[in-house]
Amino acid sequence: MNQTVVEVKDLVKTYGSIRAVDGISISVARAEVFGMLGPNGAGKTTTVEIIEGLRTADSGTVTLLGMDVSRDIRAIKERIGVQSQHPALFPNLTVEESINFFRTLYKTCLPAADIITLARLEESRKVLYRNLSGGQQQRLSVALAFVNDPEVLFLDEPTTGLDPQARRAMWEVVENFHRTGKTVLLTTHYMEEAQRLCDRVAIMDHGKVIALDSPRRMIEEHIKESAIQFKMTNYPGDEVLAGLTGVTKAIREGDEVILYTSDIPAAISALLSLAAERSAALSELFVRQATLEDVFLKLTGKRIRD
Amino acid sequence: MRAFAAVFSVHFRQFVRDRAALFFTFIFPIMFILLFGWAFSGRGIQTFDVGLSDLGSPQSAGFVAQGLGMVSAGGGKQMFEVEMGPQEEMLRSLRDGDLDAVIVVPADMDLALSQRLPSQLEVYYDPSLASNQQTLIPVLYQVVDGIDRVLQNSTPLIGLEQNSLESHQLRHIDYLVPGILGMSLMFTGLFGALPVIQQRQAHIIKRLGTTPLRRSTLVLGDLTFRMILVLLTAALIVLVGRLVFDVQMVGNWFTFCGMVVLGTLAFTSLGYLVAAFVKTEEAAAPVINVITMPMMILSGTFFEVTSMPSFIQPVVKILPLTYLNDALRQIMVAGTPLHPMTIDIAVMGAWVVVCLAVTIRFFRWD
Repeated sequence: MNQTVVEVKDLVKTYGSIRAVDGISISVARAEVFGMLGPNGAGKTTTVEIIEGLRTADSGTVTLLGMDVSRDIRAIKERIGVQSQHPALFPNLTVEESINFFRTLYKTCLPAADIITLARLEESRKVLYRNLSGGQQQRLSVALAFVNDPEVLFLDEPTTGLDPQARRAMWEVVENFHRTGKTVLLTTHYMEEAQRLCDRVAIMDHGKVIALDSPRRMIEEHIKESAIQFKMTNYPGDEVLAGLTGVTKAIREGDEVILYTSDIPAAISALLSLAAERSAALSELFVRQATLEDVFLKLTGKRIRD
Repeated sequence: MRAFAAVFSVHFRQFVRDRAALFFTFIFPIMFILLFGWAFSGRGIQTFDVGLSDLGSPQSAGFVAQGLGMVSAGGGKQMFEVEMGPQEEMLRSLRDGDLDAVIVVPADMDLALSQRLPSQLEVYYDPSLASNQQTLIPVLYQVVDGIDRVLQNSTPLIGLEQNSLESHQLRHIDYLVPGILGMSLMFTGLFGALPVIQQRQAHIIKRLGTTPLRRSTLVLGDLTFRMILVLLTAALIVLVGRLVFDVQMVGNWFTFCGMVVLGTLAFTSLGYLVAAFVKTEEAAAPVINVITMPMMILSGTFFEVTSMPSFIQPVVKILPLTYLNDALRQIMVAGTPLHPMTIDIAVMGAWVVVCLAVTIRFFRWD
């Protein structure tokens, strides 16, 4: 059953002089949760929208469920579920009416009650969409992507704008769906989300995939070390810090400094003596395990939420 | 078909839950008809309060009062309500707006008349009021003429019998009702651009693009709903015209509905054209106003286009509403044609074709 559900080859899309998608190739297997991770403008949404058939690529091919997106898009649309980045529904329809409207658009669909439960809007089924809170609108929007019991689910930043509790509930929804053997392709800029949900992650920047692997392997491969994070006055410069005993890489982000090391005691003592020597004050110092965020920082030199 | 019905019902629900849309579609045109109907026609009966001031010729003043009293305004009412009093007091009432005109009978009139010498009555009135210019003064001339003839004992040799060209005489309200209908079809058609722009701006159209729903179904559902809406509007306007102002529908209902649909298509196409170029709801409202307001005034909704100055006539001649109003008037009240009906239909058809062609070229769904 390890067949390929999404196959993207050499995808290119330019807007004027900007190469929004710059030669992307990915493939997603059945029953996989595949994440696309990157800052705004990295080309995630454009790529996903080309795969969904909403945009046409300048060059490259997309095969979805064994069909060519540019040819068989209507047959494909029956079998995929899409949640677009902006919750977008008719403002003057109630929750129930919105769901029933979407149900009429597909040949096969789940009962409306299932979708209401999924959106956790049992109490608000008669409420007009425009009177729902932002979080409720978002939940309805995501739940509607399940209406045709899709084989592949596309979620574009599904938890952006949700509070932490709603976010965790949404993760459970995605995990339950995944457990039934369905495929998910999601974009996010939450590292925690990617790390928890995704079997594999593609890190994107400037329209390119710059790393692609499981979150765990990615962290192991790119950052074998731990991270020492602190703030420092009289900043001596990246080269000086990177040259300290046991430090493999030093990155400064705003007033925060991160040192990567596999020898924590040596690195810390070297850092402390450097600080004493330069009479620089250290604050908010802590040592932690590396995360996807560090991978991203190391690969692109910037944080994801810039 | 199921999807079409669903799209139709979505548009229906969206509409009935939008109070502003409801108001502008149904209440607004009816308000116009009632306001203008009552303001202009006064149900066809116009009366004037006239002050009569006698400076010393009671016999002549008596003739004038008697002559004024004989003029009927129709409906069993007299056209003139005559009040007698000193000149100063009468003129003050005229300035205050309590009187419409003051007639002053000179002191030497009785004497002049007995000697068969000409004499002048003086009349004071406010020329800035249209009703004075159009009705009061001509009628006063007739009254004076009549008194003159009685005094000279003469019988007119040539008379004039009035015959209307149409089977019935058109009142202003008869002119107005088809115009208001044309206007509201224009508003419904053009404001139809707003939901399209809103739904595109709110990414709803994009979201629907991820479902198997065809765009043609989306457009057809919207269009069908709009057509049913305008036919309802038309029925309501005809009904109010009939019940309140006795405006009779002389034409054939089938032709009438066809014209309503064609007119709406012309303005809906123009609305889609707006949606092809205007991206945001905030920008759309002023653009639509700039298109609809001048058209409402220039296309003979309230006043005849022939009374417009000649430099504006070329503009009048290209506006679709001019032709829709003309056609509706011909059908509904057998109004005098500005153009033959075939020209009206051809011009509106041309608007549909041109607007749709440009829309298809430039419209973007996202």
